[in-house]
Amino acid sequence: MWNLKEYRIASSPAEAVVLMRKGPGKGAYIAGGTDMLLEHPACDFVVDVNNAGIGDIARTPGGDLFLGAAATLQGLVDNSFVSEFAGGAISNSASQCGNRPVRSTATMGGNLCNALPSADMAPILLALDATCYIADEDCQESLPLTDFFVGPRLTVLEDRLLVGVALPGECAGWRCASHKLTRTAEDISLVQVAVSLGVTKGRIQEARIALGAVSPVPMRAVLAETMLAGQEIKSVTPDAVLDVAAIAAGECDPLDDHRASADYRRDMVNVLTRRLITRILTNNEGETGEGAA
Amino acid sequence: MKISFNLNGSATSLEVAPGETLLQALRASRVFSVKLGCETGDCGSCTVLLDGQPVNSCMVVAARVDGGHVTTMEGLLGDDLMIRLQTELVEQGAVQCGYCIPGLLISLYALVKQGPPAGREIDEELIRHALTGNLCRCTGYVKPVEAARAVVAAMEVSP
Repeated sequence: MWNLKEYRIASSPAEAVVLMRKGPGKGAYIAGGTDMLLEHPACDFVVDVNNAGIGDIARTPGGDLFLGAAATLQGLVDNSFVSEFAGGAISNSASQCGNRPVRSTATMGGNLCNALPSADMAPILLALDATCYIADEDCQESLPLTDFFVGPRLTVLEDRLLVGVALPGECAGWRCASHKLTRTAEDISLVQVAVSLGVTKGRIQEARIALGAVSPVPMRAVLAETMLAGQEIKSVTPDAVLDVAAIAAGECDPLDDHRASADYRRDMVNVLTRRLITRILTNNEGETGEGAA
Repeated sequence: MKISFNLNGSATSLEVAPGETLLQALRASRVFSVKLGCETGDCGSCTVLLDGQPVNSCMVVAARVDGGHVTTMEGLLGDDLMIRLQTELVEQGAVQCGYCIPGLLISLYALVKQGPPAGREIDEELIRHALTGNLCRCTGYVKPVEAARAVVAAMEVSP
């Protein structure tokens, strides 16, 4: 059994931070707990944030989509705001995480805060310009998700609490495609790629390419992105897509492990990036609208 | 610590350790339909309903269910939909060693109870999706899926 001395339940984000700092000993936040019950991290107490009012999913009047950190992955699959945003790309990524009963427990915030390089939700959220909201005892801070991850299993949080992430309304019409490459459907990913393109009048105005499991933290392939941004769709030839994919593969920094070699992972970044860009460009001629996930 | 929750329709109070799982707490309370399998959230033999959602009880800290509703097979023995599912699994030969069956039934029950997404019917894909968290090494899933399809088809005739 997990050797915990105390289970604390917070009723607000600020109270959660207070309970975390109160000591004695080492504490950790818990929401779904599906990672923590596998790993039994050494701590004296946990602070449960399921009742802290951070599980809501909402669309603001301005069109931004807010995803509460304690929203479950199944909640992201089932929620109509999420399944309509960017062609359902976020719901699609959530639906590929774990299995059905794990998804009813595991939360989006937990997935991000655990900060594995292979965090299932990170690439699509990075590809849609997510902003994180972080609570302290008496204030909140926001920062881009790109700055949230510091290293493997390390975030900027320290003892603060992730409240949720917001996706800008402008991204709602971006065309997205993502792929999670795994040995088996339930296994941790070998490589993840998520691509999103904001297209207006036949021109790619915005391009995001996010990669998971191929660097110490989930990352964006910014050099490859700049090769697409500003291009007219019809000028993006198959050869140009090959070049973009090769640059993206050059930007990542994968490791060898028992699941796959670094070379294989890098090759797959190349292949998947090419396929996903091609899929978006060929499936969605015309103006930005609903994108295929 | 003490937790109070609704277990199969009855108000229940249990003394649990802070790090104890719902699976451990339920089995210590002699709720034996909930099977201990992998304890890593892979096999699904410990699946229960927590506030109507199928969860792996090995992946839920017992302290968390304070104030919640937990439903296991014991609470659904007289339920019409559960009886239909059980009967059809037996008739289709989908029950072999039986270890996965309580969890598998809970997952199928949750699927049918919650219904399909708008504009869709419960088809083989949704059934297989609902069973992604329930490993069955005897049947290879063909018979359980056929049984679930038969229940869904019969409900369309006589709900």
